[in-house]
Amino acid sequence: MIVGAHRRTPEQAIVVAAVGLARALRELGLSASVDAEHTFLRALTLIDVRDRTQMFWAGHCAFVHTPEELAVFEVVFERFWEGRPLILQEAGSEHGESDARMQGSHHGGEALPQFGGEARTAVPLDGAGNRAIQDIPTAEGDTGTSHQERGILAAWSDEEALSRRENLEYQPDELLALRLLAHEIRRQAPARRSRRARPSHHGNRFDVRGTVRESLATEGETFRLAFSAPTLRPRRLLFICDVSGSMERYSRVLLATLKAAIGAARKAEAFVFATRLTRLTKSLHGQDLERSLEKARAAVPDWSGGTRIGAALADFNASYGRRGFARGAIVLVVSDGWDRGDPKILAGEVERLQMQARRLVWINPRPMSVDRQPLAIGMRAAMPYIDDFVPGHDPRAVAGLAQLIGGLAGERPARRAVAPATAGG
Amino acid sequence: MPGYNSIEELRTALTNECYLTDDGLATVVFLALRLRKPLLVEGEPGVGKTELAKALSAATGAPLIRLQCYEGIDVHHALYDWDYPRQLLQLRAGGSTPLYSEEFLLRRPLLEALAQPGAVLLIDELDRADDEFEAFLLEFLSDFQVTVPEIGVIRAQEPPIVIITSNRTRDLHEALKRRCLYHWIDHPDLQREVAIARARLPHVGQQLADQVCAFVQDLRWLDLYRSPGVGETLDWVEAFHALGRYEIDAQTASSTLGTLLKERDDLERIRSGGGLDALIARSAERARSARQGNFG
Repeated sequence: MIVGAHRRTPEQAIVVAAVGLARALRELGLSASVDAEHTFLRALTLIDVRDRTQMFWAGHCAFVHTPEELAVFEVVFERFWEGRPLILQEAGSEHGESDARMQGSHHGGEALPQFGGEARTAVPLDGAGNRAIQDIPTAEGDTGTSHQERGILAAWSDEEALSRRENLEYQPDELLALRLLAHEIRRQAPARRSRRARPSHHGNRFDVRGTVRESLATEGETFRLAFSAPTLRPRRLLFICDVSGSMERYSRVLLATLKAAIGAARKAEAFVFATRLTRLTKSLHGQDLERSLEKARAAVPDWSGGTRIGAALADFNASYGRRGFARGAIVLVVSDGWDRGDPKILAGEVERLQMQARRLVWINPRPMSVDRQPLAIGMRAAMPYIDDFVPGHDPRAVAGLAQLIGGLAGERPARRAVAPATAGG
Repeated sequence: MPGYNSIEELRTALTNECYLTDDGLATVVFLALRLRKPLLVEGEPGVGKTELAKALSAATGAPLIRLQCYEGIDVHHALYDWDYPRQLLQLRAGGSTPLYSEEFLLRRPLLEALAQPGAVLLIDELDRADDEFEAFLLEFLSDFQVTVPEIGVIRAQEPPIVIITSNRTRDLHEALKRRCLYHWIDHPDLQREVAIARARLPHVGQQLADQVCAFVQDLRWLDLYRSPGVGETLDWVEAFHALGRYEIDAQTASSTLGTLLKERDDLERIRSGGGLDALIARSAERARSARQGNFG
């Protein structure tokens, strides 16, 4: 048997090439499993392998599993078809997968200046001012950003502030608190009535089928009537959180809270935004608390960037909302409402979100009245469309959150009540 | 199962059922049939995901069995249930058939699909079901068999053609995706949309179809909240036809726009500020040049 590696039969060559393609795709993050490889190879036996279109679609249906993966596949397939090396050295940058963590301070393009009369008194410095010299990124063209103000900004960034390079470093007691929070949320998570009923001795619906079924065991004689009761299923909890510059001091704990909620409620979804929207549900999954938190942060490219709430919510409505993410859900927006975009857009999008949600809750960490915050333009615009406005709820007071969520389970809110300033703590 | 020997053959068969495919979809459906793998299709609402199953069923002459998923769907709705009233009657009448036998089994869609050789099984909007249901489907999709405890394993003589659709309200499980071929259906391009309109509505004039489709194609670029699907295009063409129009005019367009757009914001946006007139002028222009292009 002197076949030798150099003289492959055409069949062998195809198999080698196909496996190479799968391997390259795997390296670039597609889930090209052995199953998929197998499917691809079987597909090759059925099509004309000299036809580019057929080859492309055979590979496509085997290896691509989401529309987002298509772009990577197209590039790799192009190389594959032309016989070029499948992975270049700088493959990452070629696919536009820039690493957010590498970008440094230039990313704060639209960072909202974090100063304003009221905040100086509102934000406790907890004596950390002297060691926080960290420079918070601000846009170069940002008018009114002088060195002096930077100084103030720096003073605010106590250890709660989160830079992309810093480690998240949760303390053991914090992690314990998170587990407790998860437990609380699980206990308190709002439920909704399901269409399905389950057998129950205490139920109040007479169950004809169940009665007949039970009588089968006794020769068709009915001894006991069966009843059923409606089941409760968890309602979807949808968090949409602001992680822009002005929310920086809360971001670290917010992220952890999201992790707890995702792990606890079976139907929880997490989104964060600064200038654009990122879905975090998947990144936050997993058993290892700290690792999934790191993973989640790495997934957000515009951490501590500027705020465009309206655009972010528009993004949500257009992509996820339209597919029914918010339908019947309890939607919790956590943001201070400092928005740089057009308040009209924001109002329109909040209204749209409210129309889909069972209940729209806005948690605003800033304690004072919205009227006294000159920068909270967006907040004022959004006010009429919010079911529950919760000001002054420090996201760091996580213990209160579960209670808050639990308290929302009640009935549908009375909408279009003109005075929206009914706030609970 | 009907054997299509080539992609073209399958494509022709689907075209005869007024379902027009592009290269990608034709190839993937062909492979799904030949590899006997379920096909998972995703795409915007109204691109013809469900229609695909209907067309396949019509083309192959196999019955279409549809399982519409919803939250809380379970075995008794998807797979089988026992016909208790009949069992009771049998018991009272003193019949001899065992109570838990196939005779008293109510077949729900999945079981029905196994019983009918080569059926087309449409599992519609799987993302609406809970993840547990997805896990339950795994056995079914990989081996085309189900286990009924009282009877045993029921296997398909000939596995059904399975089309699964999803609207992506949540990610389907990897394990499920691994068992399927995947395809994302896009909105058709102008030429194909005109062809679809002509095929589905043969009584409508070419010019009207051209113009409406060009109009809709432009609309899809406008970043509307809810872009119209092919079904809505067809409705709009029909609306013009029913009103006796042979081409788009501003007044009729404005009054029938609700057939096409179902969001107040979108409607207002198109109707206001001369947007409608501009779109109509453009679509007439495009329709004309497309015609000339075809002849040239």
